[in-house]
Amino acid sequence: MSSTDKTPSHTSRTPNTVLAGTFTCAWCGLTVSAATVDGTRRNHCPSCVHSQHVLDHVEGGPSDCRGRMSPISVAVLRTGDWMVIHRCVRCDELTSSPICADDNQLILMRMAVRPLAQPPFPLEAFGDL
Amino acid sequence: MPRRAKNSGRRTQRTRRPQRHKDVLHRRGGHRRHDFRCVGCRLDVSLDAPGTTHRNHCPNCLVSLHVDRRVPGDRAAACRGRMEALSMSARPDGEWMIIHECQSCGELSANRIAGDDNALALVRLALKPLRDSSVAHRMLLRL
Ligand SMILES: [Zn+2]
Ligand SMILES: [Zn+2]
Ligand SMILES: [Zn+2]
Ligand SMILES: [Zn+2]
Repeated sequence: MSSTDKTPSHTSRTPNTVLAGTFTCAWCGLTVSAATVDGTRRNHCPSCVHSQHVLDHVEGGPSDCRGRMSPISVAVLRTGDWMVIHRCVRCDELTSSPICADDNQLILMRMAVRPLAQPPFPLEAFGDL
Repeated sequence: MPRRAKNSGRRTQRTRRPQRHKDVLHRRGGHRRHDFRCVGCRLDVSLDAPGTTHRNHCPNCLVSLHVDRRVPGDRAAACRGRMEALSMSARPDGEWMIIHECQSCGELSANRIAGDDNALALVRLALKPLRDSSVAHRMLLRL
């Protein structure tokens, strides 16, 4: 929990998106402030929930892929909180990140119910769920 | 029934039968060539699944094993951690994909469901965001 040592606001270690104050959404073009209201760092666009592959989550450093990452699933933590699963359209990398309070709730909810809209078998048999 | 008659006719040649296809999960020991034992529920699973070319998770509990065979020489090949079904995703064509998460290294992977996967386990996974969370409730109230 040493979150204070790696949060410089204007160092120039890495170019643009990772540490800068704002980033431009790779999908809808919105200019997004990287910091959220509650002080956490945003990694996806609150409006369309798309992200960009700028961090190598295995090596820990920046990634040179820079592919667009589209949201493909909603996962639930043991705490009940939602995570959004992103998939990079260039390299297929999958990541999971917490949702933010101001993320587009309609998009998140639509993604959460999407599998149920096209089930591989009739859901009537599970009526008592 | 006619199939059985056909098989019994062939039975005598079984020892000379040529190998069909080589499998990466090929194992020595007590199991048959195309079987593996699930690390989640200990079920003996046959690798020949209907509706899928390569089974990569248990049809009963959906647990998988972290052996990455898509990228040869991949760093994760040696992990062998237990991969649990984390969430369900729907591809643009509607096909269900299980998102697996490795309990040892955190790696995520997306895998197609198989024709004989436990339907109840699949539906439970798909319903998780709506059932096991107060987030959904709060969101629906706000929409
Ligand atoms: Zn956007
Ligand atoms: Zn990528
Ligand atoms: Zn199992
Ligand atoms: Zn692993």
